This record gives sequence, structure tokens and C-alpha cells, in this order.
Amino acid sequence: MGRKKKKASKPWCWYCNREFDDEKILIQHQKAKHFKCHICHKKLYTGPGLSIHCMQVHKEAIDKVPNSLPNRSNIEIEIYGMEGIPPEDMKEHEKQKSGGGKGDEDSDDDEPAAKKKATPALLGPGPSQVTQGILPTPMGPVPPGMYPGHMQMQMMPPFMQAPRMMMPGMRPLFPAASMPPTSTSKPTFPAYSMYSGSNTTTTYYSNATISAPPTTTTPSSSSEHKENGEVKPPAANACPLVTATGAGSKIIHPPEDVSLEEIRARSAKYRAKPKADAPAAQPQPAPAMITPSTSQAEVAAHMNAAVAAARQQQAAAALRRGVLNSMGGMGSMGGMGSMGAMGGMVGMLPPQGMVPRVPVPHVPVSVPQMPPVVPMLPVMPQFNLVRQLQPGMLLPGGMMPMGAMFPSGMVMQPRYR
Amino acid sequence: MFNQLGGAPSNPNKDLEVTSPPDDTVSALEFSPPSLPQTFLVSGSWDCRVRCWEVEASGKTVPKAVQSMDGPILDVAWHDDGSKIFMASTDKSVKCWDLASNQAIQVAAHEAPVKTCHWIKAPNYTCLMTASWDKTLKFWDTRSAVPIMNMNLSERCYCADVDYPMAVVGTADRGICLYTLEGKPGEFKRVESPLKHQHRCIAIFRDKKTKQPTGFALGSVEGRVAIQYVNPTNPKDNFTFKCHRPPANTTGYQDIYAVNDIAFHPAHGTLATVGSDGSFSFWDKDARTRLKSSEMLDQPLTKCAFNHNGQIFAYAVGYDWSKGHEHFNPAKKNYIYLRACYEDLKPRST
Repeated sequence: MGRKKKKASKPWCWYCNREFDDEKILIQHQKAKHFKCHICHKKLYTGPGLSIHCMQVHKEAIDKVPNSLPNRSNIEIEIYGMEGIPPEDMKEHEKQKSGGGKGDEDSDDDEPAAKKKATPALLGPGPSQVTQGILPTPMGPVPPGMYPGHMQMQMMPPFMQAPRMMMPGMRPLFPAASMPPTSTSKPTFPAYSMYSGSNTTTTYYSNATISAPPTTTTPSSSSEHKENGEVKPPAANACPLVTATGAGSKIIHPPEDVSLEEIRARSAKYRAKPKADAPAAQPQPAPAMITPSTSQAEVAAHMNAAVAAARQQQAAAALRRGVLNSMGGMGSMGGMGSMGAMGGMVGMLPPQGMVPRVPVPHVPVSVPQMPPVVPMLPVMPQFNLVRQLQPGMLLPGGMMPMGAMFPSGMVMQPRYR
Repeated sequence: MFNQLGGAPSNPNKDLEVTSPPDDTVSALEFSPPSLPQTFLVSGSWDCRVRCWEVEASGKTVPKAVQSMDGPILDVAWHDDGSKIFMASTDKSVKCWDLASNQAIQVAAHEAPVKTCHWIKAPNYTCLMTASWDKTLKFWDTRSAVPIMNMNLSERCYCADVDYPMAVVGTADRGICLYTLEGKPGEFKRVESPLKHQHRCIAIFRDKKTKQPTGFALGSVEGRVAIQYVNPTNPKDNFTFKCHRPPANTTGYQDIYAVNDIAFHPAHGTLATVGSDGSFSFWDKDARTRLKSSEMLDQPLTKCAFNHNGQIFAYAVGYDWSKGHEHFNPAKKNYIYLRACYEDLKPRST
């Protein structure tokens, strides 16, 4: 909340969406990160400058600005600091800043190495291991331009300073540690003081320090979630997307900021079977579910219409009333004794798969429309990781190149100590 | 080395495979409480079934029972006396499975799939806590069709944990709410999220000395875990760390995977995380070190659990939808592995 003041006017880097306190620093950043010749390390001033340099000096063509976001890698555009940024991207950026950019917040992954280094004593007693430019890991040196985002157990200084929300008149619940924290908010690194200063309160709707991700989320599709009274995400959640803002990383998660379980539960295969005593619950959500316009279906395929829910609850209540009668002395049932009988009562099961599997036909993604009676629904296309441009989902297609499915072999995670 | 697909073996850590594993991804994994002399392992899975195995001292697993519901299972919980198992499903209900009679009866209902269920045993009451995507948290005495208490959540529940007298719920939109269970359940406070991405798993930890719950570990889809004290003595006690981020591949992108589950070791207070990347790691949060990281499996790890005395670490292997439905390969088998872990999780002696 307290941190919204300054953000509107901060200079930011078009190539990687990072924000800076000062345009001078931004220019330094661009020269070091985006306009540096990978062959002779000469720092140029603009993208075209770099391209010409490489062509003339090294006879090499460069087609992308190094370390840039995939959709911002155009080397033809002449950008110097904040000058030359295409007006539409400028507007987009402003929008991201003012509209709920929540969820877009960058992690501290791509903080400059200098800042990381300055964060004191992250790893307990030995603050020393981090040498700039070299990862404290057995992975070898970072490819040029990769953000050193591998440090494990990295402290997040901002959060430590988050204000407690002790409600007055509430006694501490867990006596183990009931001292209110002393708030110390001193920027670790003066050059980035606005950074950490503005970071200190991480409110739910707070905006990113490092600005929004490349994926363009427009608030437009937010208003129309909602048919048949399903639970919709709150306004602040407009079009939540899971995106890593670090230019060198990607989060392996479907683009929607909805839990994997919710996404999975929407697919036809996992729809709950209609209950015998509540047959009405099933049919009506079907049409809504098939619509390919993603965002409405948002949260709630699984959460059947509220209408249905009400009805179903009645039925469920009835069911339970019936059941409860037969359940009389459940509370008094001896647990341990009865457990012993379990093995015998239930019996050993056949070793090959305890229960025969219910065959589920594989539903092709492209099934256009199915009558609602069919319990199988087509799997919705918006789960594609390689996103296609769809109405209501303004995304640059193919933003995140799908790389390895599973990096194979023995992959050791870096040790931080 | 750079063979991208199917390169990793399915059991690179040489752990014990649970026999007759579920037919679809495991969504819940719980060991029986200490009140039972034997050790049972229960899993809930996307094939709508809850399975129970007896784990013998040798590590041999014997399938004992199976129960099914009308929708995929999202959570399971043991009754404290070990006689019953609660099963939460996308069919919007929670059923109580009495193991002795092998009967399952509905004990809770929501208006949306029930994401979590936990059995609460307080000195003066017992009840079942359920949290759902309908944005409510409900408490049931299991004998009544109406909840004894109904609380609103700020958002859909994504994860929850209970360790009397503390309960914590993590929701969509990065909400966290703490509850006190003393006397009767009540909201304690809402906490700002230390993480910037979607919450995925949460686990309460205890104070080393008092053995009382004192904070929680929260995992997000962005390969990060936050250690958060309810009342930190020093603001620096709270911190976050990265995990489940394999080193950058040849494309230059670093892949960041979701933390799918967190479990605290009951004896040592150290923790285990399992991730979508297909690995598990053991951590010492006090020394802020990693104690062990596993070999990479060829599928994500979805859930993990310690048995009550911390000898056995169980983890489930199966596709978690993190790459979308099109990467689901029904032909790939699901596994649950058991590992003797007591030594591995000993805190670093410094």
C-alpha cells in the first residue's frame, strides 16, 4: 500500500522490463546487458549500434538483442534509456503499473548481482561465498547475461520488514515466540534504496518493483468471467497469469494463475460422476464448459453452477440424513480394536492393480462440441503451454519456447554452503 | 546427458516401491497416526480412489483396502485414533471411511470441490476441518449435516495444514489466514504472503524447544519456499529460499518448477520438499542449508509424507499437469516410493 507512490514514473528497460531509479543507471544497465558485444565485450549504445558493430568488426550478424525478453528482442529498434520506446509499449507498461499488476511481481531472481552480494549474511555465518559473476554452485560459470538466479536459500530482505498485522486486543496464539518484531528498514544498497524501500510492504495488490512481465494482460477480459454464478476471481485478479519476469527463466506452469488441481479437475476425464440422487447437477454446466473463450471458464469448470450446487446440497443433506440414522454409535466405536480387524475384513486385494481401471477414452483436444448428455467434455484448449492467441487472452503466441520436458541425467542442484 | 525425454530413470534413488500403486496421479499421501501399532500408508488419487497399504518393518507394502468416491480425491486425513480416514473429493463432499466396517459415509459438503480435510483433536472437542474452492472453511462434528462452524476465506483454498492449536490456510490470490483452535476454532489473523506467486503447499512447524507450532513453510509455483514465523522474535527469522530449479538447460532458460508439497520431519524439525521437477530435497531451515537433494525422476513428485516417528519418507511420482494436459501420458505409471530417511534428515550439527 505504502509503496504505490513512486512507481508511475520510474525509468524502465524496454528489453527486459526492469525498472530503475534513475535513467542513468538504466542506460548503464542497457549498455552492460543488452548492448555489449559478446565477442569483444565492447559496450555499444543502441541495438542497431551493436548490430552494426558486430557486422563490421567481427563480420557476424546479430539478430537479437542479448538478454532481452522474447518479444522485445528486436535489434532494429533504436532505444537508448527511455528514448525510442514504441508508444504502444509505453502505454502498455503504464497500464501494467496502474492496473492490478498483481501476481506479476518479479521475484528477486533477477536483481542485479551487486545487490545480491550486498545482502548481508544470507546463509548464516558465512556471507562470503558469493563472488560476483560466478555462481556458488558446481554448475560452472554463468552464460553471459544469464542472471545469477541460482542462489539457494536466498533471503528476501523486503519481507522481513513487512509490518505485522497484530489485531488489537488479540492475544498471541503461539506463545513460543510472541515478541512483535522490531522493524528495521534500512536499504541494504543505497543505489537501490527505492527498490527496497518500496518493497517493504508487500501488499496483496501491490505492484511489481521490477515491472510486469512481457506477457500482456489486459484487464478487458476480466469483467466477463462469470456465467451461471460460478465463483469468479476477484477484480484485482483480473487476468492472472503465472509468469516469471526474469528474462532467463520460466515457470513450468500453465499460463493461467489457477491451481493445477483446478485446471485438471476441469478436464472431461476428471469430472465428478453424476450422483445417483442428484442427477440434475450435471447437465447444465456443459455448454459453458465447452466454450473455447478461455477466461470465462476460468476458475470454475469443476465448481458447478451455484444453482446446481444448491440443489445438490439438498440432495446431499437428504442422503446424509438417511445415512446418519444408520450411523448411530460411531463416536463410541473403539478405534484400535476395530483397526486390527481391518486386514481380515477388507481382505487382501489382487496384486495387479487393486481395482480394475475404468477405461476412459482419450478425448482429442479439438472436439468441437458435444451434447451435454455426454459426460466427457473436450479438454479445453487454453491449457496449451504453447499458447495460441485466443479471444480474451491477449498473449504473444509462443512466448515461452518449450524447452526440455525433463532435463535428464543427474542434475545436481546448487549447494549454497 | 542431453537426452531430453525419458532420460531419467523412474527410480534413480533406489527407493522401495509401494506395490499396486494408484492408477492415476497421487493427490494425497498420509501415514497412520501413532495410535496404531502398525504403520499404514494411505493415498488419494485422481482415479477417484483412496488406497491403504500396510507398511511392514522390512519396507514391504501390503495393499489392504481401497475405497472410491464420485470424483477425484484431493485430500485425505486420518482420524487421530487411526480407525477412520477422511477423503475430500472434487465431488464436493468429504466422506469418512470407517476401516473396520469398510463403510464410507458422507460427513461434509461444500459448494465446490473440497481441496483439503484435516482432523482436529483438541482437548475439549474433535472436529473435521474442510476447505474448498467455494471459498469457505468449515468445521464438522461428522454426525451432523450442518457444519458447526463456517468461515469465509478470501479466496479458493489451495492448501491448508493443522497442528493443534494452530491451523493455516493458503488460498488463491496469495492469501494466508491463520486460525486458532484453542477452545473453539477462530480466525487468528490474515498474513501477507511472503511469496509473489501462487501458493501451492503449506506445512506448520514447531518450535524446537517448546514443541508448539510456531510458524509455517509455504511453497509456491515459482520454486520457492517461505519460512514464516507467526510471531518472529527477529524479523530476520522469516526468509524464503529457492528450490526445484534445475540448472539452466541448453536453451539458456532456467526452468522453475512448482513446489508440490512440504513435510516436516516429526523428530528433527527439518523439512522435505517435493517438486514438479521430479526431485525431492531435505532442508534444515535453522541452519539454512540443504541436507540432501535427490536424483531427478522422470515425472513430477506430487506429494510426500513422513511416518509418525520419522523413519520413513514416502513420495509419490506422477504427472501433475504442470505442463498442461497435452503432456499427460496415461501410459506412464504412477509410483509411490518409500525411503528410510531418519539419518538423512538429521539437522546439520554446527
